[in-house]
Amino acid sequence: MVKKRSIYPYLLVAPAVLTILLVIFVPVLNAILMSFQSYDLRRPQEIAFIGLENYRAITENTLFWGSLWRTFAWVGFGVGFQFIFGFILALLLNHSFRGRGVVRAVSMIPWVTPGVLIGLMWRWMYDGNFGVINDLLNRLGILSTNIPFLSQVETALPSVIIAIVWQGIPFFALMILAALQGVPSDMYEAADMDGANKVQKLFFITVPSIKNTIFVTLLLRVIWVANSVDIIFTMTEGGPAWSTQTLSVFIFNQANSLNLGIASTMAIVLAILLVLVTIPYLRISFRKED
Amino acid sequence: MKKQSILSRIFLLYLPLIAILLFILFPFYWTFITSVRPAEDLLGRVTYWPSSVSFEAYRQLFTTTVDFFAAIRNSFIVAALTTAVSLTVSTLAGYAFSRYEFIGKRALMTMFLCNNMFPTVLLMIPLFTIMRTLGFLHTPWSLVLSYTTFTIPFSVWLILGFLKDLPMSLEEAALVDGCNRRKAFLKIIMPVLGPCLVATGVYIFMTSWNEYTFAMMFTNNATRTIPVALRNLIGQLGVRWDLLTAGGILTVIPVCIMFFFAQKRLVTGLTAGAVKG
Amino acid sequence: MKKKWLKRLVVVATTAIMGLSLLAGCGGNDTETPDGGAAENVETPDISEDTAETPDTPAVDGATVQFRYWADTPEFSQLMQDIITYFNETNTSGITVVGEEAPWDGGGFAENLFNSVMGGADIDVATWRLSSTPLFVNNDLLADLTPFLDTWDGVSDIDGNIWANMREAGGREDATFVMPWNLQILYVYYRPSIFEEAGIEVPTTYEEFLAAIEATTIDRDGDGTPDVYGFGLRGGPGGQEPWGSFVHGRGGSFEDMTSAESIAGMQDFIDVFQNGFAPPTAPSDGFSEIIDNFHSGLTAMTIHHTGSSGGMEEVFGDDVSAFPFPAGAGRWTSMADTSTVIFESSENKEAAFEWVSFLATGEGQRMWTEGTGNIPVSGTVQAGEFFQNNRFVQASIESQGFGGVIPILDTTPEWISTIFPNTIGQALLGQVTAEEAMETLQDALYR
Repeated sequence: MVKKRSIYPYLLVAPAVLTILLVIFVPVLNAILMSFQSYDLRRPQEIAFIGLENYRAITENTLFWGSLWRTFAWVGFGVGFQFIFGFILALLLNHSFRGRGVVRAVSMIPWVTPGVLIGLMWRWMYDGNFGVINDLLNRLGILSTNIPFLSQVETALPSVIIAIVWQGIPFFALMILAALQGVPSDMYEAADMDGANKVQKLFFITVPSIKNTIFVTLLLRVIWVANSVDIIFTMTEGGPAWSTQTLSVFIFNQANSLNLGIASTMAIVLAILLVLVTIPYLRISFRKED
Repeated sequence: MKKQSILSRIFLLYLPLIAILLFILFPFYWTFITSVRPAEDLLGRVTYWPSSVSFEAYRQLFTTTVDFFAAIRNSFIVAALTTAVSLTVSTLAGYAFSRYEFIGKRALMTMFLCNNMFPTVLLMIPLFTIMRTLGFLHTPWSLVLSYTTFTIPFSVWLILGFLKDLPMSLEEAALVDGCNRRKAFLKIIMPVLGPCLVATGVYIFMTSWNEYTFAMMFTNNATRTIPVALRNLIGQLGVRWDLLTAGGILTVIPVCIMFFFAQKRLVTGLTAGAVKG
Repeated sequence: MKKKWLKRLVVVATTAIMGLSLLAGCGGNDTETPDGGAAENVETPDISEDTAETPDTPAVDGATVQFRYWADTPEFSQLMQDIITYFNETNTSGITVVGEEAPWDGGGFAENLFNSVMGGADIDVATWRLSSTPLFVNNDLLADLTPFLDTWDGVSDIDGNIWANMREAGGREDATFVMPWNLQILYVYYRPSIFEEAGIEVPTTYEEFLAAIEATTIDRDGDGTPDVYGFGLRGGPGGQEPWGSFVHGRGGSFEDMTSAESIAGMQDFIDVFQNGFAPPTAPSDGFSEIIDNFHSGLTAMTIHHTGSSGGMEEVFGDDVSAFPFPAGAGRWTSMADTSTVIFESSENKEAAFEWVSFLATGEGQRMWTEGTGNIPVSGTVQAGEFFQNNRFVQASIESQGFGGVIPILDTTPEWISTIFPNTIGQALLGQVTAEEAMETLQDALYR
């Protein structure tokens, strides 16, 4: 690490910082202020500062707690499986084989597909009457009658999680694939000479060499998935019987109802939770530099 | 020896690859056959092959008020501009964060990470006012500006992650050789950063290619992007499956072709020689 | 008060940040950084190609009306553009309507519109759902049409009931904020061939209707699961409309959803599902699903309006017909409306009114309703040949007498979009009783 008092780094970060400040500084400040007000635009005459009342109100709302637990499941399983499959896919795509370029290109398809189409297609495939997933499972002899996947509480959340896993695999695959390019090949050669097997090489060379990328992509993906709404919304709108309403869907619904005070309050709670998730990484990240 | 390696290639490479590809590609296949099959095929007994094939939906996308060509063009303009701007700005910032120590650095890095934690739906009314005040409403710039705001922080962190995974010895060797910092950056860092920039660029491009909420608010019929055009096909009278899926296919294919060429840069840029060098 | 304060804050902060960015832009030029970032964007606002921002002239002559609408299908979209073109070419005041299409977005149209108008968007007229009225009126965004209606000779061509609904939605005695345009009245679609197979006639009472649902649930191959379900029950979004008919069929009402009668109607609705007379997907079925299920022959009856009648005839020819929801202890069906509004911020209200009145009773009314199959509000158009010779339109018009709307309060949009579907889901799936569900619905609507 170099030069403490140089103007150079400030010039380098200035464009990024200014763009961000220009666009979201005022809106975010405004949203934070709204969380301390009874800010319901359906009743604009009643808007007033009410301190922490919104925060108290959401803790008494059973829907809030339900949404919170579902958010953990949604993020935990969603990002977890995206990462596992994405990592495997990246390792596979790093091999050389005939047609690799084409395979790499088509692997990106889920990520390119517009969110609304992903939601609608999965919804259509899950359909309890004409859906292809029920048909496949019936043909394979796994099921004897159709399951209305998105119409019952037990299956709705796992079903939407599978859709988000599908959508997120390419992101991990691409980032990890790029990071793998930076692992010096002489490290593997040295390991070969020591007689290391593939699993040993994976865990003692590959993973440590790309651990920063793994941490960063996991972190960014957690933030992204925790805030994502479109796939759940087009598949189930948070139903049936609230069974797929995550915190972000709840916030989206409240914001669409123009109950912005409560929506902001929940958004801030979600942001605080996400900050808690990022702190360990930030600490590691900052400590290493000192 | 040889036999074993073929077997291991099958079990460790081809089979898992085929399994993952089946999972990834099946919904895409389903989207495609929905776009070419007659509407009657959709209901009743599930068939895995269209009873007849028609590309009528693709024609309608371009000849009706959907005007999909304009949507693709607009999406492309916005995504390309956003990628160019974000990638440049993020690379500079990412480099500064990874190689310099300066006051306020941690605060800025934390701010960048927190930037995307807030749901955009809550920011809409003031953002709309800002865009209108700036005169950006209904122009691609409103989207470029909003997208960069959300792609820059992520890109900075991604690039930072990649830079940290790169061995410091590379650059130090160059500095010892008498390069100045800028030259070291351009000559040494940039080439090995290639795969990372491609990956980050793809991330930015895809994000702006598919974004709906801002696009809905800040565009009009002339500047609307693909997601908005597609959303117009879902009315109260149901989903126009033929047009929607055809639109989806046309959204995916050009980007995949572009990625096919871009991925050639995703090869080992870092050789043993470069490190020793 | 608050709004002004917010607006000022936004403007001040924006200006400050713009200034900062400009400074940064200059600083950036000294270095060789290839900076294409925000700073440059700010320096060139004239990149805007926006024609909408040309200053408006207050006079009607040559005025431009910005019109935001949604279209349910690409065909409707084309139709609306044709109507706009027709109006622009034929109106004598030199008014130009500029159409701006926005997605229906599952009802998000209204929220997007609200955010735009609050953010100061330049929109004069928009297509409308009555349920959004309180939100916009409470924020003083809609123009009162009374001064225009007082001098307009088209008022009497539209039924007094409709005007009453429009007025009620605004919540003020002396003001009308919404202009009628067209109606969607719900009735029951049924398949004559399945009725024949079950050996029943078209039901004339609510009890007969419930019996018909049971009778038309048929297990043809005897495998234990029905091949035809009696009723395509809508438990997902929009389900409140058919559900309302059940509640009223038992003599209940929206005003007191916790009365014994209302709860009995709710119980009927739940029983239809729990007894297996509706497809197992019912708790999440919305519009597309109930129509798909009916189209595929999976259901014998379902409730919808004329918007879907064209598709029905295409699939079944004569083997589909309609009857009004039968009377029980009470009778009600949903008479939803699509209407138009003029915004308070519009500088061309007179020109805007010419356009909305053209849609309400003029040639615009005829073109739109004949093209979409929606029920016209104009008595003259309704009496036309097109609407007198259609069995679905006839079922709609017969239902008009007992058609109504769900009480329009500021809570209604949220109630419709999230509270109703999820609560009904809980009831159908047995998580709560009919009574508990009705209490939730009552409390949420009259909050």
